[in-house]
Amino acid sequence: MRKLQRGLSRLAWGGSRSGCWPAILPALLLVTGCGDTGSPYVGTVRPRHGPNELWINNSSEPEWLDPNRCSDSTGGEIIWNTFEGLVQAHPETLEPLPAIATSWQVSDDGRRFTFFLRPSQWSDGQPLTAHDFVFSFRRLVDPQTASKYASNGFIFSGGAEIARGEASPDSLGVRAVDELTLEVELVDPLPYFLNFLGFYSFMPIPRHLLEDLDRRGIDADLWTRPEHVVCNGPYRMTEWQFRQRMVFDKNPRYWDAAGVKLDRVRLAMVESATTALNMYTAGEFDWPGGNTSLPAEFLDHLSRYQDFHQHPYLAVYFYWINTQAPPLDDPLVRRALSLAVDREALVKHVTRGGQIASADLVPAGLAGYEGLGRPVHDPDAARRLLAEAGYPGGKGLPPVTVSFNTSEGHRQVAEALQAMWQQELGIKVELANQEWKVFLANAEQMNFQLCRMGWIGDYADPYTFLELLTSDCGNNHSNWASPEYDRLLTEANRQADPVTRLALLRQAEALALDEQPLIPLYVYTRSQLIKPYVRGIWGNHQDRHPWKYIWIDEAFAAQGGPLPSRRTFAPDALSFTHSTETSRRHPGCVQFPTLLDWHGPAPRPLPSTVTRRQEMSP
Amino acid sequence: MTRYLLRRLVELVPTALVIIAASFALVRLAPGSPFSSEKEIPPEIRQQLEARYGFDRPLPEQFVRYVGNLLRGDLGLSTKYPQRTVNEIIAAGFPVTLSLAAVALVWSLLVGITAGIIGAVRQNTAWDHAAMTTALVGISVPSFVLGPLLVLVVSLRLHLLPPAGWGDWRHLILPGLTLGTIYAASIARLTRGGMLEVIRSDFIRTARAKGLSERLVIWRHMLRGGLLPVVSYLGPAIASMLTGSVVVEKIFNVPGIGPYFVDAAFNRDYFLVMGIVLLYAFFLLLLNLVVDVLYGLLDPRIDYS
Repeated sequence: MRKLQRGLSRLAWGGSRSGCWPAILPALLLVTGCGDTGSPYVGTVRPRHGPNELWINNSSEPEWLDPNRCSDSTGGEIIWNTFEGLVQAHPETLEPLPAIATSWQVSDDGRRFTFFLRPSQWSDGQPLTAHDFVFSFRRLVDPQTASKYASNGFIFSGGAEIARGEASPDSLGVRAVDELTLEVELVDPLPYFLNFLGFYSFMPIPRHLLEDLDRRGIDADLWTRPEHVVCNGPYRMTEWQFRQRMVFDKNPRYWDAAGVKLDRVRLAMVESATTALNMYTAGEFDWPGGNTSLPAEFLDHLSRYQDFHQHPYLAVYFYWINTQAPPLDDPLVRRALSLAVDREALVKHVTRGGQIASADLVPAGLAGYEGLGRPVHDPDAARRLLAEAGYPGGKGLPPVTVSFNTSEGHRQVAEALQAMWQQELGIKVELANQEWKVFLANAEQMNFQLCRMGWIGDYADPYTFLELLTSDCGNNHSNWASPEYDRLLTEANRQADPVTRLALLRQAEALALDEQPLIPLYVYTRSQLIKPYVRGIWGNHQDRHPWKYIWIDEAFAAQGGPLPSRRTFAPDALSFTHSTETSRRHPGCVQFPTLLDWHGPAPRPLPSTVTRRQEMSP
Repeated sequence: MTRYLLRRLVELVPTALVIIAASFALVRLAPGSPFSSEKEIPPEIRQQLEARYGFDRPLPEQFVRYVGNLLRGDLGLSTKYPQRTVNEIIAAGFPVTLSLAAVALVWSLLVGITAGIIGAVRQNTAWDHAAMTTALVGISVPSFVLGPLLVLVVSLRLHLLPPAGWGDWRHLILPGLTLGTIYAASIARLTRGGMLEVIRSDFIRTARAKGLSERLVIWRHMLRGGLLPVVSYLGPAIASMLTGSVVVEKIFNVPGIGPYFVDAAFNRDYFLVMGIVLLYAFFLLLLNLVVDVLYGLLDPRIDYS
């Protein structure tokens, strides 16, 4: 016993018999506080796995891996890499590239597309045909599927009617002319159609597998589990340990298997941003992945390292205004609120992630759209407007309440707005912090005055943001509706000429922002850490990084060098610029420019499909 | 004893019914729906989703159906993880939480009892003060401080153990220590207190008078008396190691059931919330029963017959 005592004592207190217990604390601090190791990278730069493997995080368990039913980005990440649609987004510019479709024709009115498919196979060797796409598109809008993203299928003629149960799924405007020819009819000549077609909702579905499972008495909803799944993309899931990891192996039957570099991708589901950062530092992740955010409080520190990257993201942070709740039913008050916000200060001191201050709903330069460039801060004009509304210096104005869902980041923004409005306008602002589902229920029932929201663009076109304010849009939480606004958008989408269309959209946005049913604050950015030996990831606006193009620089991994040149963008490159030339050449193709080239000298030559773009019909 | 056990088991039935009814009512009273999201779902699609889970039926009917399924051992479907049943989710996560709690329990008993004995036997010496100050620190430092500190030192500086994850024994140690430390500290103080209470009692004096060695006196007589408060503490402690691992499981990304307790409620994943609540309730009731029975075995003064 005594021996044990002494041993324990020595272990804990360094052998001294007197009560020198405080010694352990400084010792701890000494170990933890031994500061910077002088490395230009965060943590280790040697991979912990074999060659041709990638370890990433996907942040959480996806809800569905069924392309038609998936509605979250964690599922999307997996679907994009295990399935392949008619077109795929270029990893850098997001321009639609031929994928299962090698070429296509567009009718003169821009509403009818004919796709010519390449002969290809499912991962079980069955041939992939145009019928698999027809099956998928019908299934997407079929109410029986109960897809949360059924509305994505409303671009096809008849889609909305089918989802409402008014028509049979067979009546959808999608038809297989023969095994390898697909004809699609759209409701409008949507210029963003090809870009949007790369979205995960539009992947083909292996009908033969679903029918086979049904025959064998297995619940066909489980078809995406690794023991059953049949796919047609670069990777196939081979292991799924619930909430631990997923393993994906290269699919040898993928049509471009020769172009796929990595043999295996391992995905973890780590929800905590700090834990994910720890695992990256220890080398358990090569890249925390597109679905992981870095802890905001570490961004300043992390930005000093060479494996830190930042790029703009196609998403807007704004506040909805309930335009029927007094005193916010007065457009003058709403505009005063918007002008009083110092957005530059907000992104610089509060959000601190390099966000782009913006008072517009549509990010400037998106797909050739000339942004409105509304002033991001004008306190004098704000005070004038408020006085004009009958509340000089905020006198007589009842307090307004700002709602946000529980999150440190949202709270900080709300507190900043509170201070700015109080200071500049003399308005008393109360904060209401609500749990997520309560917040959503309140937003749905218009039970708020001002509430925060973020909107991620589904495709690179102003319409993805402008649609929010149409009178029949279920996501319009402003109680604001304007027949003129609706008319302008409808007219724009019927326009075959892209320039006239963008002008109409711009007119609509100006009309809406004059009434200020919402207060745009900033355009998002994404901050990422990527180990220097990982190549083939580009910073693009939709944060899509197909694994297909990623490769491991084995030479770097082996020696821990040489250092790749680090490229950052100049502040003026932070806007969404665009190439009109491309739009003119292919009215259906919306191109993003290169903003940032991560890792390595020139981007790799484009995938083999690029040469086939010559086949594209005008 | 058998009769006592039977009576206690029968008493469990109404308790369980109350728990089921209360949690069913509470989870349904919460505003919001499992299917709400920032993106609107067409109403027809929403109806289909609700029909899939039977949420379109009147509430009393849903309750009766739920209890019926429960009796057959079916806990229902998860709305957040539509590819899994609640049974599957618990079957995957509960063994993980159990193994984590086991490591924490062994660690807390080992450290706690040792420190407690040292404190009691060497009362009011530097030994005692050292052990009890450590215990005080252990009780005061929350797991969300201790966990990251351990990760920083052990994983990121010394590179001895992985910072998070699950797979082999190396992943068990840090979360186990983090979870167990606070209990180790309580056990140390309880052991010391319990032993000091019996240390001057007559039966200890008798044992010494009989000429027993000090070692035997400590191990056979003092410890047995001193452990009584620890035993009564262990029931709730084990239960709270199982239910209170939320923070530790988040920090170390352990795929146990702890985080569901919070997340499922936030997601309005009705059946998953119910499943977890029932599981935890079952363990609380069971552990309380076990503690009462153990009491009878350890303390000859307690007799259930």
